[in-house]
Amino acid sequence: MRIMDLQKSLTAVLLMLACLILAPVVHAAKVLPKRMTVDQVAHLFSSKSSIATVTMRVVNEDGQRDMSMRIWSLGDKVLIRITSPEDEAGVAILKAGSDIRYYLPKSKRTVKIPASMAMTSWMGSDFTIDDLVKETFLTRDYSITTSFEGTRGGVAVYEYTLTPKPDAAVVWGKIVLQIRQADSVPTWQGFYDENGALVRGLTFSEYKTVGGRNIPTRLVMQPADKTGARTTIDYTDIAFDVPISAATFSLPNEK
Amino acid sequence: MFGPLIQFAWRNLWRNRRRTFITMTAIAFGYVMLLFVACLMAGLRWQMIENGTALVMSQIQVQAPAYYPNRSIQKTLGGWQGTDVNATLAAVTADRRVYAAAPRVYGYGLLSAAHRSAGVELMGIVPRQEAKITILNNDIVKGDYLTPRMPKGVVLGDTLASTIGMQLGSEIVLLTQAADGSMGNDVYTVVGIFHTGLDAVDRGLVLMSLPALQELLHLAPARIHEIGIKLNDITAATAVAAALQTRLYKSVPVRARAWPELAPELASYVQFNHAITFVLFFIFFLIAVIGVMNTMLMAVFERTRELGMLMALGMRPAQVIVLIMAEAAGLALASLLVGGAIGVPILWYLQVHGLDLGGATGEMVSLAGVLVGHLWYGRQDLPAYGEAAVGLGITALVSALYPAWRAAHVTPTEAIRKV
Repeated sequence: MRIMDLQKSLTAVLLMLACLILAPVVHAAKVLPKRMTVDQVAHLFSSKSSIATVTMRVVNEDGQRDMSMRIWSLGDKVLIRITSPEDEAGVAILKAGSDIRYYLPKSKRTVKIPASMAMTSWMGSDFTIDDLVKETFLTRDYSITTSFEGTRGGVAVYEYTLTPKPDAAVVWGKIVLQIRQADSVPTWQGFYDENGALVRGLTFSEYKTVGGRNIPTRLVMQPADKTGARTTIDYTDIAFDVPISAATFSLPNEK
Repeated sequence: MFGPLIQFAWRNLWRNRRRTFITMTAIAFGYVMLLFVACLMAGLRWQMIENGTALVMSQIQVQAPAYYPNRSIQKTLGGWQGTDVNATLAAVTADRRVYAAAPRVYGYGLLSAAHRSAGVELMGIVPRQEAKITILNNDIVKGDYLTPRMPKGVVLGDTLASTIGMQLGSEIVLLTQAADGSMGNDVYTVVGIFHTGLDAVDRGLVLMSLPALQELLHLAPARIHEIGIKLNDITAATAVAAALQTRLYKSVPVRARAWPELAPELASYVQFNHAITFVLFFIFFLIAVIGVMNTMLMAVFERTRELGMLMALGMRPAQVIVLIMAEAAGLALASLLVGGAIGVPILWYLQVHGLDLGGATGEMVSLAGVLVGHLWYGRQDLPAYGEAAVGLGITALVSALYPAWRAAHVTPTEAIRKV
């Protein structure tokens, strides 16, 4: 049962990232044991496509910026289109396979983003390009152990520690995932470096039921080395398993 | 009382000319070698400092206190409202030790051309002013340096150009995170390609005009990151930086750092170079000790009878010591004068013509991340010449101590009987 909870929660996390991208979900479905294909979990896996409307608020020492965007996902493809603010509206990022490209309306050019740039900031936020589009295979790349079980802040939680498998090509030294026992939704995820120091923490909140699934609709990323800095992503609208044409996944000057 | 002794010592030196000449030759030759080494080492230091600072870095950089080391593009001089650039430049050049100063803006971005991209460092400059403090404009191999005719022109390295697939006239896109967090991007044209020989520069640096980079980074015209400075005399860099920091701080908070702080590897190379010079000096001194001691000992042994006679006539042991030491001092002084006379034309040649290291290759040699030419020019280092002279003089005196002590202990009766 516990493993089931974990798998469920991991799936929920993956699904959250899938709100940004879909790919991990699809891949998680492939790597999880077959016996997990029951009830809610199985249900979560079944999302093959999604369309989301997202607002993002970046707060740091230089001030505050608000952005909104639409995100489409289908298979291993993700398209993000900025809708506001005005001077950046039309900027698009398309991920197809391992290929990441930006469309820049001002320059009317498409720019390929090299893999070495993937760990840099996405639109000045505390999320990286990698966070948005990389296929993270948590269950494939990490060994999972239960590191805490009990009550935190009045909520019964499980805490899992994910350590990279020896040959996994991953960035983090360790990932800590905290799950609410009652409904197996993620509440917090911490990313640690090789020395075990917290690099950034992702807090989940505002749980809502969407399409029969209980998902957090607010993600707050806080870098550990910059006090006061944080990026909040709110899902104002999300739909799963919606039909999307493959032709959607192209940049304006490629049509 | 010393007067006659010194005169006596001087005469003694010329009584056995061959022996004196041999010792003098050894010391003089040693001194010439020391001058040669000191001159070349100083030349190497100077060339490394000059080349290391002149390519891109400059000798002193004035920045906002919070700019370094994170180099956040928001941390411009004078904060977000910026500074009166021309007034600040004028305040810098008001110092007479400053040769020239130039404003700079930096950024990081993604350069994309055709189907390939690379991360690059962007440097915004005012070409006319920048060319006074750095020499990158001399390294253009294709096209031109930045000109006002092409406000959206960029100049970049040959390695970058070939890896990304760019030629003169290629259109490129630069994508960067602007100061307000938005995505700055625009199209530019490659107007020049440089080759410096330093991989990091040839692969990663893109030069563009200061206003163009400010526009890309969404920085107001009053916002610059740095003032680069070249001095009339580079050795004053640390002192001038401190003075500028104090003076500029009255109008705008700044941090002024001189090249030893900007390029610690360069500064530690200079220290290393000094250390090597010192070790070489020390070895020469050791050799000189043996040479001088030998001569003086022989002189004492040969003159045992004479010294015994002098002491029998009433010369005290202390006077004998002074006599022998005076002989050593005279020997050293004469040798140094001769060595110096021989050294002057050699030093002059080294400074003017240099030592050709790689005539065959003609290539630049990279040392500690800095390019030095195949011609190794000397540089006059008067303090080192002085140290070498004093060192050799002291060496001669020290090595005469034992022979002098032996001489002072000659027993007159035995000495006279002996030979």
